[in-house]
Formats: sequence, structure tokens, C-alpha cells
Amino acid sequence: MAEQHESVELVGDRTVQYFAVAVLVAALTAAFAQVTVPYPFSPAPFTLQTAGVYLAGLLLGPVWGAVALVLYLLVGVAGAPVFAGGSAGFGVLVGPTGGYLVSFPLAAALIGAVVHRQVDPRRPDEVSVPLQALSLAAGLAVVYLVGSVWLSVQLDLPLANALVQGGVVFVPGDAAKAVAVMVLVTGGYLAHGRGVVG
Amino acid sequence: MLTYEPDATLAHRLDPRSKLLAQLGFAVAVFARGSALALGALTGLALVVLAAARLSPVRVLRAYWFVVVLLAVTPLFAAVRFGPPWLAPLAAVDSVVAGYRIVLVLFVSGAYVRTTPVRATRAAIQRHLPGRPGQLLGVGVGLVFRFFPLVLADLRSSQAAIAARAGDRRSALDRTRRLALVGLMRALDRADRLALALRARCFAYNPTLPPLAFSRLDYPVLVVGVALAVSPLL
Repeated sequence: MAEQHESVELVGDRTVQYFAVAVLVAALTAAFAQVTVPYPFSPAPFTLQTAGVYLAGLLLGPVWGAVALVLYLLVGVAGAPVFAGGSAGFGVLVGPTGGYLVSFPLAAALIGAVVHRQVDPRRPDEVSVPLQALSLAAGLAVVYLVGSVWLSVQLDLPLANALVQGGVVFVPGDAAKAVAVMVLVTGGYLAHGRGVVG
Repeated sequence: MLTYEPDATLAHRLDPRSKLLAQLGFAVAVFARGSALALGALTGLALVVLAAARLSPVRVLRAYWFVVVLLAVTPLFAAVRFGPPWLAPLAAVDSVVAGYRIVLVLFVSGAYVRTTPVRATRAAIQRHLPGRPGQLLGVGVGLVFRFFPLVLADLRSSQAAIAARAGDRRSALDRTRRLALVGLMRALDRADRLALALRARCFAYNPTLPPLAFSRLDYPVLVVGVALAVSPLL
């Protein structure tokens, strides 16, 4: 067998750090999708899945945040039981709720872009709470817009019906999740305003 | 739950790339060809695929129960109009047909999930997505797959701890915050250790990949996949 003489192209230290956090945020989003919290006003099971989207954008910025959620989707398509209810596969992405999933990387990128306004994330304790609230509301709007349009196309529904069926039921829960997660990153809950690098 | 199961069926012996392509082609054909004849033919094909993967359709439907429930209630929603004439019963029929297409796609993707290990899909991603993004996404898929059970166990243990300390008397908001905080802190600690381990092992953009090879079986599957994908153009 012929020997290969190729130089090893090492991945840079900062990239390794962002990459490792992106992997864990993807795994955390997958785990959040499996854990339900009983919620008084909604019959729908309440998972923390969208909290993973917020955290990806807030911690990792627009590019690496989107990478984290793309990893989450790829792992699900590859067959790991990471989507809601322990399901997996390409069919979930194509199915009626696929729009919500597909919108996650877009929403994380938007949240990261609004919060950090640059590719490398700023330290989280420099981000003001109103800016966070604004970015999370924008991210949530993207998720529901893409998700509802997708639902209406896939099921041949008028858009208004799709908004009611797919969106309105979950909006109170998602708003509560956003409030619960929002101050985690800036509010001194994480040790010393911990960022992902340094 | 539907995940990879080791077996020796026809579908297990195929290369992941031909299965991915056939899956994609099937989805394109299902959504682009609307006639009853086409849907009948695609139903037959989906059943052949399930048989090749030795997977029962009932099991697929149970694995995707939440999608099935959503599809089942949709005709009720579809028939309602927010304005006169308030009810449109024919629209319910349209949405039943639309839901049936999704069930067909679920059958085929369920067969893929049962017959393809995650590492094979990862190898396909890493080999065929170009450049550094392809390398990072390929390695990332492998790592997320390894870390998912650990992070889930972290969350379950902190959920149990919260319950043991009478946490169910706290508000939903407070419980959510505690759970998210513990999950996030442990995930970030794991990320630090992972980054250190990757650097210590000379994490590179050009590693050695697991081998992938087409067998004779793969070529007909590839042809069918391509044919289905371009069928809307015919």
C-alpha cells in the first residue's frame, strides 16, 4: 500500500473552542427537546427546545450559533432520536412541523446578529437586557413565520388556519421560555459573566 | 422509538449515499406529482422500501405519533374559514391528501433511519461537503451523537433533583430557569473539556475517514432516486 505524505492541517484554537461549544449547544438543544415541563395553560407538551435556539444565538453569535443548529438538524436527519418525542429522520424535516426546525438556524443567526452585530460573539455581560429581549422576540417571530407558512403549504391549509393551529397554541409557552432563559446569560447566573472563549 | 438496528436486510447493505439520494428523490416525486395514479405508484414503492428494510408501517406510524396526531386533526382545522361561508368541507379532503403524502415520506425516511448507522451518514457528509465546513460538520455530527445521551442524562438528573427538593411547588418559570441553567453550565463545562481534548489530539481538517464503497446493489437505487427526483420535469 502506498504511503501518503500529507501535511496535517490543524484547526485553530479559537475555532476549536467555538466548535466545541457549538457541539454541546446542539446536544443541549436535542436534550431540551426530550424534557417536558408541565405547563398550566397549554394542552401541548412544553419542551425547552427553542431555549436551545436562544442560547445558540446569545452565546455563539450569528455564524457559530447557526452552525450549532445546523448540526442539530443533521444529526436528526442522520437518525439520532433528537427531534421532539424522540423521533428522527428526513421525514420529520419534510413533515408538517419541519418548518419550525428548518427555521432554527435562521433564528439563531438573527438573534446572534442583533445581539453581537459582528461574527465573533461579545462577552455576554456586555449585552443589555432590552437588546436581548428584542433579539429573542425577532427570533421567535422568524420561527413562527417560517413554521406556519411551511405548515400551510405542506397541509394545503389557508395561512390563517395554519397560524392558529401551529402557532398561537405555543406562543405563551415560548414567551415564558424566552423570559426564563433571557437573563441566564447576562444576569450573573453563569459564573463571572462567563463567555465561550477566554 | 425508531433508530438504527443492526440487521442484514437488503436496505442495510446499501451505501448511505444512494439511500440519501433515493430518499430525496422520493420526497420530490411525492410533492410534485399529484395525480391519484402517481400517489398509488409511490405508495407501492414506499411499501417495497419498508419490506426491503424489514420494517412494519404500523411501527413507523407509532414512532412518528405526534406528526400523525397533527395530520389527523388537520382536516378539522382546514374546513374552518375565518369569514363567510365559515365552513369549507372540500378543503378538508385536500388536506387529507396532503397529509397522506407526508405519511409516505415518513415510511421511506423511517426505513433510512432503521438501516443506516449515524457514523455512515457522517462519513457521507464529511466526504462530499467540500472544504473545511464539510470537515467540521462531519466531525460535529459524530460528536453531537456522542454527547446527546450525556447531556440528556444531565438534564434528567437535575430534573429529579429539583423534584426531590419540592421543586414542583415552584412556578413553571422558576423550574424552567433552574433546569436551563444547570443544563447550560454542565454543557459549557463539557465543551471546555472537549476543546482541550480536541487540541490535545491534534484536531485537523484532513483526518482519515471510514471507507465508503458502492456495491452492485447501489446502482439501481441511485438510478431510481435520480429518476424520481427529475420526474416532475418529464
